[in-house]
Amino acid sequence: MNRNTWISAYARFLGTTFSVNLQAVMEYRVNFLIQAFGMMLNNAAFALFWGVLIERTGGIGGYGFSDIMFIWALVSSSFGLAHILFGNIRSLGRIVQKGELDLYLLQPKDVFLNLLASRTIVSAWGDFIYGFIVLCFLPGLSLGRLAIFSSFVCSGGLIFAATFAAAESLTFFMGNSSAISSAIAEFMLSFSLYPETVFDRGMRWVFYSILPSGFIAFVPLAVFKGLNWAMMPLVWIVALAYVAASYSLFRLGLKRYESGNQIGARL
Amino acid sequence: MNVIEAEGLEKTFTTRVKPEGLKASFASLVKPRMREVAAVKGVSFEVESGEVLAFLGPNGAGKSTTIKMLTGILAPSAGKARVLGLDPAKERLELSRYIGAVFGQRSQLWFHLPPADSFRLIGAIYEIDESDRIWRQAELVERFGLAPYMDVPVRKLSLGERIRCEIAASLLPCPQVLFLDEPTIGLDVIAKREIRLLLAEAAEVDDVTVFLTSHDIGDIEKLCKRAIIIHHGEVVVDESMKDLRHRALARKLVGVKYAEPVRFQIDGLSPVKVKAADVAGAAGIAGAAGVAGAGDGAWTAASFEVDTRCHQLPDLIRALAEKGEILDLTVEDEPLENIIAGIYGAQSGAEAAAAARPRTASAPAAPQTTAPAGEKAFS
Ligand SMILES: Nc1ncnc2c1ncn2[C@@H]1O[C@H](COP(=O)(O)OP(=O)(O)OP(=O)(O)O)[C@@H](O)[C@H]1O
Ligand SMILES: [Mg+2]
Repeated sequence: MNRNTWISAYARFLGTTFSVNLQAVMEYRVNFLIQAFGMMLNNAAFALFWGVLIERTGGIGGYGFSDIMFIWALVSSSFGLAHILFGNIRSLGRIVQKGELDLYLLQPKDVFLNLLASRTIVSAWGDFIYGFIVLCFLPGLSLGRLAIFSSFVCSGGLIFAATFAAAESLTFFMGNSSAISSAIAEFMLSFSLYPETVFDRGMRWVFYSILPSGFIAFVPLAVFKGLNWAMMPLVWIVALAYVAASYSLFRLGLKRYESGNQIGARL
Repeated sequence: MNVIEAEGLEKTFTTRVKPEGLKASFASLVKPRMREVAAVKGVSFEVESGEVLAFLGPNGAGKSTTIKMLTGILAPSAGKARVLGLDPAKERLELSRYIGAVFGQRSQLWFHLPPADSFRLIGAIYEIDESDRIWRQAELVERFGLAPYMDVPVRKLSLGERIRCEIAASLLPCPQVLFLDEPTIGLDVIAKREIRLLLAEAAEVDDVTVFLTSHDIGDIEKLCKRAIIIHHGEVVVDESMKDLRHRALARKLVGVKYAEPVRFQIDGLSPVKVKAADVAGAAGIAGAAGVAGAGDGAWTAASFEVDTRCHQLPDLIRALAEKGEILDLTVEDEPLENIIAGIYGAQSGAEAAAAARPRTASAPAAPQTTAPAGEKAFS
């Protein structure tokens, strides 16, 4: 197929999915608002905790309060974005296990993208918006910094999505990977929220490989503080590499997919 | 033109055997024991354009597995498949534009969204022009009577309403082949009838080839022109519904009811069921086996299984009429269900194929016919 029509077909598909899902979310307005604000309140409580802590200790691992808040904002928004656009990243394994992948295999769109994008997580909107609100309160905000932040939210969202989806894809190989994938998700989220320097030097390589918190939080912080634009393309290249790796892992696993006849059994 | 071609399709699943006990479980972590399940063993058939085909077989015969191979969900372990000239395993994405599939036990509609939204999404997924989609959707909504449900979330619809939406949704992209895996499962009599009519109409109006599996004989009798029966992963019957039904027509069930108790015997035919007149301890209705001993008892009603290739029906009826005043007389075809049950009951593929072979006139049709074969007059 012609490249242009291919792109416009996918744009229409993703656009329609997004708008339909958003409409569905809006149907439950109250629920949406409660979840979104609940998430923000939850995050705000943590901000308070960090504020008090740093006031007492005068900085942790070389990070000041605004550094911590920047990381919080970034991680929160990227995490939110990943779940808004690709709501199924955490259910992929279950879908494979239950044989529900059949549905996506029957449709003329890329299975991976179709599967991930066909759902949105309501509470993720709270995370997403929270990050931007926090950013507004940080000192020294400029249009340039907003642009950097937004760019890193996008690359971070992709890295989150790619890592979570890859962990879930392990289901193809092990039959059930829910323990591993939820551990990866937990660790990655927690590690991203602490200053890198808190961790042992020998352990840091982990943040630039299987739990890529480094590319989600640490590198962007350096760029943001130093307005070091040169690092930005690098982070994007890394993000796309993670996406490619995750996609390949899924493809590899798909070859082993054996469908199933489950009607809604207990797992 | 052949729309579907299967050539020696095979599928063997390898499943991990879950051992019993903790010790064995740990052992299996290191070296899992695998078991192979041959679900489909060399299935070959062809389906022509515009056909409405029934793909039958008992539970576990391999029907769903075959459909999954034809739609590209599963790759066959051996053999070849072609659907619309494409190889489903290698050209799944391309093929998916031209085929539709409905699985009665699995929904393709978005559970939380009303069908109208699902249709919009399907339009985007199949790249249907938005104006075409609206036009086509209006037609389907009209035909399937979906207007009242279009903006109700799918999770709130009844099963019958949902299946109607499912079928309409799969027809939205104008597929050339429609695979249906037990679409009428769990539906009531009326809903089943509606679905059949809608499918027949789709085959006619939209010019789709229909590949249908079902355990409902009604679906098959009403809808399909040809039947393929598989058993133990092998094809045991592949013939037109007419031929399949013709076998059933050779056997008639004759029931008779008399005004007064009569005493009679008919050479070569014993009733499969009788109603005894003088209730001397025996219950009203006795099985044929129990009757055999008390062959000369008086009956008010009886029913016979007659192989019309051995016995002339008019002769039997004349014979029955001579015995006494008849209150009621029924002649029925043997239900198709019995024939199919005979095939399903077989223990192996070969045996099923034998059961599926049309009975010849020389073979006794039923165990009850003790007399040698050949035409017989009744005395
Ligand atoms: N994913 C799978 N893994 C292992 N074995 C399977 C799998 N799917 C099917 N089987 C086995 O293959 C055989 C055929 O299954 P299939 O689902 O094709 O039967 P079916 O003809 O559709 O039966 P039914 O009428 O009950 O739906 C069964 O013995 C089943 O246990
Ligand atoms: Mg089945």
